[in-house]
This record gives sequence, C-alpha cells and structure tokens, in this order.
Amino acid sequence: MALLQISEPGQSSAPHQHRFAAGIDLGTTNSLVSTVRSGKAETLPDANGHVLLPSIVYMGNEQRLVGHEAQKFQSDDPLNTLSSIKRLMGRGIDDISQLGDVLPYEFISDENQTVPRIKTATGAISAVEVSAEILKNLTQRAEQTLGGELDGVVITVPAYFDDAQRQATRDAATLAGLNVYRLLNEPTAAAVAYGLDQQHDGVIAVYDLGGGTFDISILRLNKGIFEVLATGGDSALGGDDIDHAIGEWMLQQAGFETIDVVLSRRILIAARAAKEALTTQNTTAIAVNYADQAWQGDLTIEQFRLIAQPIIKKTLTPCRRVLRDANIDIDQIAQVVMVGGSTRVPLVSEMVAGFFKREPMSDLDPDQVVAIGAAIQADILCGNKPDGEMLLLDVLPLSLGIETMGGLSEKIISRNTPIPVAKAQEFTTFKNGQTSMSVHVIQGERELVSDCRSLARFELRGFPPMVAGAARIRVTYQVDADGLMTVSAEELTSGVTADIVVKPSYGLTDSEIESMLRASMEFAKEDIELRMLKEQQVEAKRVIEAIDSALETDGDSLLDESELNNIFQHRNKLEQQIETATSDSLKKLIKAVEVASESYVAKRMNSSVVKAFAGKKIDEVNL
Amino acid sequence: MKTLDLSQNYFELFKQPLSFDIDLAQVHENQQKLQAEFHPDRFVNGSDQDKRLSVQQTSWVNEAHQTMINPVKRARYMLEVSGVDMQDESETTSDIEFLMEQIALREQMEEVRDKESPLEECDDIIRHLKVRLKDISDDFSNRFGLGDLETAKLVSRKMQFVQRILEQVMDLQFQLEEEYS
Repeated sequence: MALLQISEPGQSSAPHQHRFAAGIDLGTTNSLVSTVRSGKAETLPDANGHVLLPSIVYMGNEQRLVGHEAQKFQSDDPLNTLSSIKRLMGRGIDDISQLGDVLPYEFISDENQTVPRIKTATGAISAVEVSAEILKNLTQRAEQTLGGELDGVVITVPAYFDDAQRQATRDAATLAGLNVYRLLNEPTAAAVAYGLDQQHDGVIAVYDLGGGTFDISILRLNKGIFEVLATGGDSALGGDDIDHAIGEWMLQQAGFETIDVVLSRRILIAARAAKEALTTQNTTAIAVNYADQAWQGDLTIEQFRLIAQPIIKKTLTPCRRVLRDANIDIDQIAQVVMVGGSTRVPLVSEMVAGFFKREPMSDLDPDQVVAIGAAIQADILCGNKPDGEMLLLDVLPLSLGIETMGGLSEKIISRNTPIPVAKAQEFTTFKNGQTSMSVHVIQGERELVSDCRSLARFELRGFPPMVAGAARIRVTYQVDADGLMTVSAEELTSGVTADIVVKPSYGLTDSEIESMLRASMEFAKEDIELRMLKEQQVEAKRVIEAIDSALETDGDSLLDESELNNIFQHRNKLEQQIETATSDSLKKLIKAVEVASESYVAKRMNSSVVKAFAGKKIDEVNL
Repeated sequence: MKTLDLSQNYFELFKQPLSFDIDLAQVHENQQKLQAEFHPDRFVNGSDQDKRLSVQQTSWVNEAHQTMINPVKRARYMLEVSGVDMQDESETTSDIEFLMEQIALREQMEEVRDKESPLEECDDIIRHLKVRLKDISDDFSNRFGLGDLETAKLVSRKMQFVQRILEQVMDLQFQLEEEYS
C-alpha cells in the first residue's frame, strides 16, 4: 500500500520512522517492562492492570505459564514452579549448593554441560531459558500495547553482576529473540529515572536492595552525563534473605518435626507476607499449616528488627568500600536514592539514613524506577532522540585477571575502571615449536584463583612454530560497554592472529544456545502465527486510516460515486473483520482494498505530480 | 564516524602541557567531551565497523584518562614520552632511608591482623601512605620541571613503591572486611 502514502505533496511520506523500544527490568522477584510514549516513560500493565510480572515460570503443564498464572502453583507444586531464578544466572552447580536451601529445586548437570538444569515435570530447563520465558512475556505485553514490533530493548542487570551473569542475561535475550541495545546497570537506570541530572550536578549514592541482589553505586552528575565513580554490592544478598531469617524464626517457634518442600515454601510465603505487613503495622499474625502440622503466632516489629538487622547491616560494608574506591567522603554525597522493593522495609531506610547521615530519596516507586530509567535509555539509544545530551558512563564492577603459576591471580583490569576498556599483555612460548597456549580468565578481588570466579578458559591456537622464547604473543582483553569481555591474540613477529576457542566456566556454549533456539522455535510456532495476525491487524488499521485520510482530502474531487462506493465496500468489509479474520484472510482483504483503490491512487499521483514536480528533479520526489 | 589521532600523546589528547601539575578539572571536561562523541551508545544503530571503532577509541581514551588522573601512572608516562627508558625493571632504589621506611611499612602491614581493630589500622596506614605519595609526587614535579630526568626517574620508582604497598593495604582491608562481615 506504499503508493497511498504519497498523499501530501512536498511532505515526506514517512517523516520519521518512530522505532519502538522498551526497557526491561528482569528482577529476582518481579519483572517489568517500560517504554517512552509521547515523551513520558511509563511502565506497562498487563491485561489485568498488573505492572509487576512475578518472575515465576510454571513447568508443570506442557504449556509454560509465566507470572501471576505461574504463581498460583507456588504453594502446591513448588518443585515445578520456578522462582528467584535470577540467583542462578551465570552460576555453576557448585555455586548452587552454596545457596543452600534458598531454592528447593533438583538440579541436573552432566559433564558436557557447565550450566545446571532444573528438573521439572516437563523436562530439564536452565536458568537462561526460564529468564527467556519471562522476557518473551514482557515483550509480548509491550508489542501488544505499542501495536508494533520492538526494534530493541535495554535490559537492566545488577551493577555487581560479573561477566558470566551478564552473558547469561544476554543469552536469555537471544533466546527470546530480542535485539539488546545495552545491558544497563540497575543503579544507573534508577539515577536516570529520577532525572537527577536536570536538578543539580554533584555526587549521589544509589542504594539498591532487591529480592536477591544488593548494589551500591556512587555517581557523579554533570550536565546530563552520569559518570559512575565506583560500584559494589553483593550479588547474593537481598530481601529473600530476610524472608529466610523470618522463616527460621518461625520454625524455631513452631517446632515442626518434618519439613518438606511444600511446607518450607509455605513458610517462606508467610514470612514474606509478614515482612510486607510490618512495613506499615507494628505487629502481624502469621499462620502456616500443611498436612497435620500447623502453627500460628504474632511477629512484632521489635522481633522483626532483631531478625532483619544483621542482614541489612551486611549491606553497609560494600557502602563503605565504594566510598573509598570512589575517593569520596560521606559528606560529599548530595543525595541518596533508594531502589528495589526491599527498601520499603522501614529499618532499611533508617539504617541507610544513619550511615549516609541524610534522609534517602524514595519519591519514585522503588519497584518501577529501574524499568523507567531503562526505557528512557532505550528511547535514546534507538534513535528517537537524536540530539539527546544524556550519556551514561559505567565501570567494571569486579577486577578481571588471569591465573598464573601456583593458582595465583594476576589482575589485568582493576574494579571500577571505566568501560569500555582494553588491556594487552605479552607472552612468549616456552617450548620449541609451540603453536598454542591457554589463558584462564577470572573475575574477583582475591589473590587465590580458587577464591575468584572462573569466567572462561581461552585456547589460543594457530601460532607459527618458532624456537622457545622467540614468539611474542600479545593477548588483548577487551571489555565493552555492557561490561562483557572478549579476548583476542596475535603473534607480533609474524602478525598471525590466533584462533580462539572459548570454554565458558558457567555459561552456555554457542551450540547450546543454538539448539535451545531451535527448540523454542518449534515451541513458538503458535507465537509466530499470533504475531503474524497482529501484524496484519496493524497493517489493516494503517490501510484504513490512509484511505480515510486520502478520501477526506480529495475523494470527492477525484472520484465519482460508483468508484467511491466500490472503495468503501472493500474498506468496510476489512474493518468489520479486523478482529475476527485469520492473518491469511486479512491479507486478502487488504489486497482487495488495494486493488479497489488502484485507479484512485493513480489519479492522486497525477494530481500530486502536477503540483509537486514543478522545478524538481525526479529523485527528490519521494514516491 | 570521526577517528581519533592515536599517535598523539595523552597530554596532547587532553590539551595539557607536558607537566606533572595538570588542570584536572579541564582533563575531566575534555574526557567527557570525548566520551560524548565516541561512546558506543552513540553508535547503537551504526555499522559493525563503527561499533568496533567506537569501542576501540573509547577504550583508548579511557586508558589515557586513567593515566592522566593517576599521579604514579602520569609520572611514569611523562618519562616515557620524554624518551626515558622505563623498561629496565632490575633497577632498584639505593636510597637506604627509603628502603628502611618500606620495610617498616611492610612489617606494620603484616601485624594488622593482630591489632584490636584491624580495619581502622588499615585506614591509618592508607592515610599515611597517601601523604607520603603526595610528598614524593611534589619532588617528582620539581625534578621533572628542572629537566633532571635521571633523578625524576628514581623518584618515580619511589612513587611506584608507595603505590604498590598502598594497593596491598587496600586489598588487605578488602579481604578483612569480607572475613568480618
């Protein structure tokens, strides 16, 4: 239907293709999607008006359920109801055992797979795939609301996420078929949402306590530039831990004999409800029952504070550390911004206020603020705001290093170095004719490799054979703006670039991602049909609008009654069936409108040509 | 996209004279201008070539900026730019007084764990080292300014010594915090 778009002479037919972009907060407990519409960032609700999508996927049926639908099964079928999955992103089986009882699931891992799978009634699934389901759900919500396909998204991650956790998040987006403009650190997103750059220049702290992660960032704001000075945190500390502590207290009080997964899940659900009730009340009643065991009691605010205090106190150590890393004194901090659902706990703001010696800001909904900031950044990155001044400068959260002799780590790039960053190292060969070498890259601050996080082993192959010590191999470690690392290597005397084989320690290999993609494609056949239907519906509406506006302009002057009637007939038929027809029949109906208006289009062209072509070359006219 | 002249030195990039005492506010302002122009966020919809180029150029700018704002790195870089050979790591300081001071500091560091409040003890050492670094830096600035590059090189070695032990104390503090929390 391109020809109808020439409508007004002298005006370009599609002035500026507005791209659809969204910000996604992929949270431990809840996830959100947000977008900028008419200059304003807003979080998008689902059909039932819920903005928060519980980050839960139910795997008990053939049909995977996501969000509230999945949550319903949490207390009765906990093993097939996957929640708090973010804690498993980029993690190996050893890490999971360290999480203890936090997650009730049964894990499978074989030698060929570094990424553990969760055993469920409908098959084994990795955390990356579970996250992809959540992303797909949010994408669908956004595309339905916007009436078009997303060009790209910004996905937020905790600032303290390491390379493996970031890569896992990117992999989940790949599986969900998303174009990721950028992974954005959650505290930075929050600072953007507050628009603090417009209010004043200065140094701010963002305290972000979510369900399972804690981040603290120090930023300097200056004329629209958000410069992260230092970031720190704990990627395994959050509101969930308060729930667990309450749960343990409940167990002590109740003295239950046998505790299975269903009971412990019910205890946790009750614990969370009690925590939430105590944000506004001074005491709350708790009741748990399962099979023949039951307990009920009261939790007072005093008792709650005793339980929660040690956990919240743990967040203050990273606070001290980032101030030191940023070389900033507490009294230089102009604002403290609170982010994350767990900052609703009054004791949290109290302790944060005590530490930073000022009342923290919490004007924006702490659950939504990160998604809002991500949407603002997505809107800029997709090109809808070409003259935007805003720029976000972030840092590497944890030092990158390599393993040297004796299992010791050697730092290559220190934590809080601004990204993108590249560092190079030179090695030589120690054997005659050696053509390959291997580099073990780790992330963390500790001296022993075993205390750091193993990221990947890189096999560098294909160097020309030389005598020992003659080769000069330069290995370059590059960290991009997402905080993701790549390694390249070159032998300098011959100029030969190495072939690199990456063995991620806790990540999916490319072939694993590919086979997952293939599996999800089959799964998504229905999705594709639905998407095609949506596209045809959008197209149909566009055609109707175009026809209507054209007819209004010059329908009466260019067409006689029978021509008008013919066009109207097809146009009305299309409009009547827009919601009910299949995508194929919509396509035919659209075609029929086009055929019916062919001669009209020709007449319009002629009349526009006469008006518009005067003194213009043919390629200046946008047909 | 525009390309940066990678053959210029960091002082030229940030429009500073080749001197230890630079205008940090101006360096910072220039850094932000360069980032605003070349940062990967500006090329999200660009070609793969532009994206690669942008990551490379901002990486170089960041490295240059980090060198400029860190006194120890800046001093070393100034000597390199002035044609002084900085490669021979075998050379050590022969300043006995300075060596004794270093040994005493290392001993103090090793005893931190036995102190009543090791974290505060680390803070004290860090404070002391920062003052020392400032003093030695002033010395470097004078020597370099006078064109006495040989002495300046010896002084820059001292700066590196102090910097290294400072980093070690900070690492130790980091580990202690982890153990105590």
